Amino acid sequence: KEEGKITLTFNVDHGYLEGLVRGMKAGILTSTDYHNLAQCDTLEDMKLHLQSTDYGKLLSSSEEDLTVSLVDSKLRANLVTEFSCLRSNALPPLSTFLDYITYSYMIDNVVMLITGALKQRDVAELLPRCHPLGAFDQMAAVGIARTPTELYSAILVDTPLAPFFQDAVSESNLDEMEAEILRNKLYKAYIESFHSFCKNIGGVTADIMCPVLEFEADRRTFIITVNSFGTELSGADKSALYPSCGKLYPEGLRLLAKAEDHEQVKAVANCYPEYKLIFDDPEPGADFKTLEDRFFEQEVKLNMLAFLQQFHFGVFYSYVKLKEQESRNIVWIAECVTQRQKSKIHNYIPIFPGTH
Amino acid sequence: MSSLLRGEEMCLAQLFLQSGSAYDCISELGELGLVEFRDLNPSVTAFQRKHVNEIKKCEEMERILGYLLREVKKADISLPERDVNPVAPLPKHVMAIMEQLQRLEVELGEVTRNKEKLQRNLLELTEYTHMLRITRKFVQRTAEREPLQVQYEEFPFLEKETMMDYSSMQRLGAKLGFISGLIQRVKIEAFERMLWRVCKGYTILSYAEVEEYLENPDTGEPTKCVVFLISYWGDQIGQKVKKICDCYHCHVYPYPSSNEERNDVVEGLRTRIQDLHTVLNRTEDYLRQVLIKASESVYTWVIQVKKMKAIYYILNLCSFDVTNKCLIAEVWCPVNDIPTLRRALEEGSRKSGATVPSFVNRIPTSDTPPTLIKTNKFTSGFQNIVDAYGVGSYREVNPAPFTIITFPFLFAVMFGDLGHGVIMAVFAAWMVLCENNRKLKNTRNEIWNTFFEGRYIILMMGLFSIYTGLIYNDCFSKSLNIFGSGWSVKAMGWTKEQWENNRFLTLDPNVTGVFKGPYPLGIDPIWNLASNRLTFLNSYKMKMSVILGIIHMSFGVILSTYNYLHFRKKYNLYLVFLPELLFLLCLFGYLVFMILYKWLAFSAKDSRHAPSILIHFINMFLMQGDGLQPLYPGQTGLQIFLVVIAVLSVPVLLLGKPVYLYWLHNGSHRLGLYRGYERVRRNSEEELYLMRAHDMEEGSSHSDLSSSGENPTEEFDFADELLHQAIHTIEYCLGCVSNTASYLRLWALSLAHAQLSEVLWAMVMRVGLRMDSTLGVLFLVPVFGLFAVLTVSILLVMEGLSAFLHALRLHWVEFQNKFYGGTGVKFCPFAFSLLPSSFEHDGLL
Repeated sequence: KEEGKITLTFNVDHGYLEGLVRGMKAGILTSTDYHNLAQCDTLEDMKLHLQSTDYGKLLSSSEEDLTVSLVDSKLRANLVTEFSCLRSNALPPLSTFLDYITYSYMIDNVVMLITGALKQRDVAELLPRCHPLGAFDQMAAVGIARTPTELYSAILVDTPLAPFFQDAVSESNLDEMEAEILRNKLYKAYIESFHSFCKNIGGVTADIMCPVLEFEADRRTFIITVNSFGTELSGADKSALYPSCGKLYPEGLRLLAKAEDHEQVKAVANCYPEYKLIFDDPEPGADFKTLEDRFFEQEVKLNMLAFLQQFHFGVFYSYVKLKEQESRNIVWIAECVTQRQKSKIHNYIPIFPGTH
Repeated sequence: MSSLLRGEEMCLAQLFLQSGSAYDCISELGELGLVEFRDLNPSVTAFQRKHVNEIKKCEEMERILGYLLREVKKADISLPERDVNPVAPLPKHVMAIMEQLQRLEVELGEVTRNKEKLQRNLLELTEYTHMLRITRKFVQRTAEREPLQVQYEEFPFLEKETMMDYSSMQRLGAKLGFISGLIQRVKIEAFERMLWRVCKGYTILSYAEVEEYLENPDTGEPTKCVVFLISYWGDQIGQKVKKICDCYHCHVYPYPSSNEERNDVVEGLRTRIQDLHTVLNRTEDYLRQVLIKASESVYTWVIQVKKMKAIYYILNLCSFDVTNKCLIAEVWCPVNDIPTLRRALEEGSRKSGATVPSFVNRIPTSDTPPTLIKTNKFTSGFQNIVDAYGVGSYREVNPAPFTIITFPFLFAVMFGDLGHGVIMAVFAAWMVLCENNRKLKNTRNEIWNTFFEGRYIILMMGLFSIYTGLIYNDCFSKSLNIFGSGWSVKAMGWTKEQWENNRFLTLDPNVTGVFKGPYPLGIDPIWNLASNRLTFLNSYKMKMSVILGIIHMSFGVILSTYNYLHFRKKYNLYLVFLPELLFLLCLFGYLVFMILYKWLAFSAKDSRHAPSILIHFINMFLMQGDGLQPLYPGQTGLQIFLVVIAVLSVPVLLLGKPVYLYWLHNGSHRLGLYRGYERVRRNSEEELYLMRAHDMEEGSSHSDLSSSGENPTEEFDFADELLHQAIHTIEYCLGCVSNTASYLRLWALSLAHAQLSEVLWAMVMRVGLRMDSTLGVLFLVPVFGLFAVLTVSILLVMEGLSAFLHALRLHWVEFQNKFYGGTGVKFCPFAFSLLPSSFEHDGLL
């Protein structure tokens, strides 16, 4: 019943933004664009080509010489502009949904600032490197905190991240390892909360978002497991970091916590058809792809599905993620172009292949 | 006229441009706007083309110009006159412009940076003075309060401390420190909260708002700020406090330790602020001077860069010949303009001082050329109406010249009112007279632009409305009695009782003297008083609509012959045009004949016996009419004859063309001759010869080369042709009925307009006129105001738009589908005047 109501009145509140985001999605670079970009010899060529896409004068409006990092920051600024346009026009519950998207960037920013502070870096130097989507007022003060508890009670209690701290509060001193654990704990709480939020919205939003978030949770689980090889992290420690909303829950998580090497992880993944593909050995003829890239590929696939249905919030999440992937692609190509690594230039992850 | 009827004759030409003079030649062509360039290297991507570096340079200049324009706008300096039209700069002069621009940019950047620095400095100093002024109050207040013994129950320790002097605190190992500064008002609460949380209360925060708005250095917006003073104990806490201040972007200023120091600082600040003000004023003056100097030539530069970029873009479309010494461009060009084109190339070569001239060479082609119809400011509006439906195929009959008359006329039939027509015509005439006014021309208001672009259409519509208003004898729903009515009431000889006892009296035209003859122009004004006015006008307007519609459609069908003759498809004349015309005229033409006959044959005397045309028309199809009195002798025979002809023309229309084409294709391959577009080629025997030779090589048939494949070729498909013709036949025959009915909208809209204006008069104006006292005169003023507003908004604008749309439909559907294909491609010449500038788009110009 609730579902029907949401679909019925969806356009009243969110129709404009959905239309907007679908329009912006139409500007995502096509395979022809990538093909042309990959032919470029200099960043100037890329700038010229991007002018004919929806990016328009984005790159040409600056006086400085083009560098890869400038391209990266411009693309990021572009995404932030688009996102803040969406966010400022959004009504609840879409506004909450959009806020949830920013929380993951906030978590990354917090951890980045903590590790930066541990390395005695200046805050002024660290702040520009934070992702602007995850910016919040108290950001600069993060470095003051010595323990997670202090971090929580003094600085982050007012931020939307506060609820995610429930399991992360501890009195141990923050070091790099601890910061990484903190990140994963926060992320676990965040993704579980986001998952249940989408579930509560119900309808098509839940149908679309839950698989995406479940995939995200499982990806983190795998990555944590793979990265934990060779550290003193125990099985119990690890399973405290695994998000429990994914498809791996509960049996897969239990097995992964015990896994000691890559083969064991692969054995676990083999039980799940969607992850079996990712961990499969590459075919002899094909290019070698890192595990990360394979996960990205899978993520892009899932996000593209969101645009097949109407009247749901998934398009917003998917758009941000796809756009991020596109930025990564462009930066990758730009990097290859500047470093004259033409052979690797095709290792980007195509979005919407086959659309022209 | 022939060019307006058919469009210009076009040809494909090759331009051989010497590489030295290519730039000048293309610049000349851009000024003239004669030719459309074709892309000769479509497979090369944008950044791999020859002149990509020059284009990049142009873009760099555009960026600097955009920056300059923004700064000029910001400084509120108006740009000088815009009527200059400088030619594209020579490539060797470009560097000079580039250098000038770069110098300006650097200079401007430096000055603005300086200015910003100074402003920031000034802001800091003002903030500092505010802080000192306000914190002094804090100190005074605490000094006043101290004897009152403030109770901080939460911090018993602090309470004790406040009583101690500084030295005793030092002894305790804790140092009292102060941090003071400014923070944005919105942030103060969060700031206070975090201070409390992090420092666990080992701080005292006092703050007060600054009354004035201070400019936010990042956004430039005026914001409210708060001055705060934090007193803390201990270095560690001090560190934290400082970090928190950083986090909230507080502007922290040193806190003077004593009153004397404070006074000194305030004094010093005052003088520094004064100094800064003078420096800042100087800087601003200088900046303004730089900008004014830049603004003088910035418009010229914008145009020059725009032109230059366009030229390089065109050069990128050209290909190099084998020797790499000359550029080859392919252009579409009107045949008549070839001499002008030659002259332009000569001029370009002369300017660049090239020894080898650039020249034009016409080349034969099998491509369909784009359509160019030259228009002037009067015809362009009507041409736009036609083009909105579809750009005509190459050399097709263009409906626009006829539209110039028929469109306003059909509009006026629906909008017929003298008064409204006058208002509309006056409004349009004003626009026409002021058309050179830049303010009207360059406005960015889209709705206004629509009206302004169509000013000549509106003028014609207004004039025709005056005419039809005279015919309908309607002026704001009232009739004008100019010539004196043709009816006389006196001649009826009514007595006084008859006058008093009857609400309605009938004038009988059969009584001598009552009807003295028709009114000289249009409807007799006496009908305005008649109770059966509506019935009378309905009958009249309905018949008129049908007559106009049939004439309009027959005209469309007749226009199709021009196409058939021009495209050498004579068989269409007999197999398509003739049956179509016969079908239309035998059925609906005859209806028109009957209407006219009835009008002429029956006068007031025998009007009682006047037959119903509808019944006669229906009987014509049923082929019976025994019960009715014939309109004229031999009616039944003629009617049967007409129906038979109409029915017979349907199979001819259906089968004639496909069967003929089939026969043509199977019977004689030899019949296929050069036709249609090769007229262009005929001009040069040599080329024709080359063409033939080329054909032989290719081994293809001649017809392959003719423009639209009007000759049946190998791929002739009888079933396909038959299907198309069947669709056309069905559409035409049914269309004749439905289109004729569609023209009744003329009557309906005209009726609606007349009734609406009558209602407006009766409901608004008459109310005011009824009051017959001095008060009534005063009352009439607002009533007339209301009447005027409603007349303009509802009758003129809304009704006008609706009549416009209906006239548009009658032209697009009912008229143009009889002959107009509208499947062409518009000729878009390379002309500097047509190029949009990105600055106009950004609103900078």
